[in-house]
Amino acid sequence: MMFSKEKITIAYTLEKCKQCGFERKRKFKEGDFLFAETTKCDSCNGITMIEKIFGESIEK
Amino acid sequence: MRVTLIPSSDYTNDLIWIYLALILLDFTNIDFDQLFGTNDQSNPIMMLIWILPIFIFVLYGQRIQLAVTSGEIKKGIKKLDEYKTQSRTELIDYIKKNMNPKDDPTKKIDRFLDYFTIMPVDMDPNGIVSKVRHIVRAREDYSREHVRSLSPQTSDIELSKIQTLLEIATSLQMIYKVINHMYLTAKKQNNYPLILPLQMIMPFLLEEAEAMQKAIPAFKTCQPIGDGIGPMVVGKMMLDTKKESIAFQTVLGMTDYSERKLLLLKAEGPASTVGRPGDAVEKIVSKDRPDMIIMVDASLKMEGEESATTAQGFGAAIGGIGTERFQIEDIATKNNIPIFAIVVKQSVKEAITLMTKEIADKAENVRSQIYEMIDDNTKPGQTILLIGVGNTMGVQQ
Repeated sequence: MMFSKEKITIAYTLEKCKQCGFERKRKFKEGDFLFAETTKCDSCNGITMIEKIFGESIEK
Repeated sequence: MRVTLIPSSDYTNDLIWIYLALILLDFTNIDFDQLFGTNDQSNPIMMLIWILPIFIFVLYGQRIQLAVTSGEIKKGIKKLDEYKTQSRTELIDYIKKNMNPKDDPTKKIDRFLDYFTIMPVDMDPNGIVSKVRHIVRAREDYSREHVRSLSPQTSDIELSKIQTLLEIATSLQMIYKVINHMYLTAKKQNNYPLILPLQMIMPFLLEEAEAMQKAIPAFKTCQPIGDGIGPMVVGKMMLDTKKESIAFQTVLGMTDYSERKLLLLKAEGPASTVGRPGDAVEKIVSKDRPDMIIMVDASLKMEGEESATTAQGFGAAIGGIGTERFQIEDIATKNNIPIFAIVVKQSVKEAITLMTKEIADKAENVRSQIYEMIDDNTKPGQTILLIGVGNTMGVQQ
């Protein structure tokens, strides 16, 4: 443990288009809830839904 | 042992000196009796050097161990104190920022932090579960109203977050108080056996306390936690279904799957709540008896087990104090309904902090396991009750 580096967790939101299935990963922002409809899809103009919210750890 | 020196022109001066010194020393001829002074009675200093530590360790051994052990425990207590203070400060700051109370809430919050619960007498265990449920629910309901009194216009989602943060701060304060009490008592009485259980449980408590401390940012920003995998799995299946509030902070959805009726139950998101699945199951069974109950929950992994692995089993997969589990088991037994369980394994820290990618990625796999379980164990025309157990913070339906 003496030499283990400190880890920080970054929260991400994964949006998925309901129509074409296009996925977009971005940093989490307050007000994001799972299965909430968010923005228009970049590829087909459909509505995207928050599919996942998760944390990924990186070493400092 | 004699070593013959074979001089070589390559030897440096230093090597020659070391070599010569080794020749002069004869290790086979050491007189141990002479070295330690055991052959006669004329060396009292050597005798003291040997005998004195034995007496010291016999008479003061426990005190020495107490001093060494208490040093380690003191470090742990210092950490617990830091966690306790940080959680209290973060709670007060959060309330001031998000509830905008008229007066300074510090005094009231300190009073909330000192709330305690007296569990019912268990000398006669008959009917104890309903007594425990009553006490725990009364505590939850009244503390919610007390927090609301700080600023009555606060939304229910905000209130649930603050209530959870208050629970974290209260738990950290309680852990610190109990451990510090045990430590100080052991030190005061120089009681080594009293400090032993403390030394044993300290790593587990520190792990839990650290997990609680690290959970605070997730609760402040309403992010889904590892324990929310059950509601996440069921929540997605509830999208585009007819939903109704079936019990306090608990929602029921209905859909069809492969000529079967599917009743979907979870806590009402995205608030930080586990709902009241026991009450909900009681209501559902009285109206529409299901032929099978499936419970999806997070479960604690064992050391050595990989995180985010899934397992299937039988019985009510629900944690907590045990009252909800008792209620569900009781109803299922009386109505002869089989209970199946699917769990996603994770550590204590993963269960109460922001959901990891590995756990989130398992949701789809769990859904396909549910459908497979329904196909294998039920016939068309039957009704299945699917319960997503866990804290539904950040998970809508």
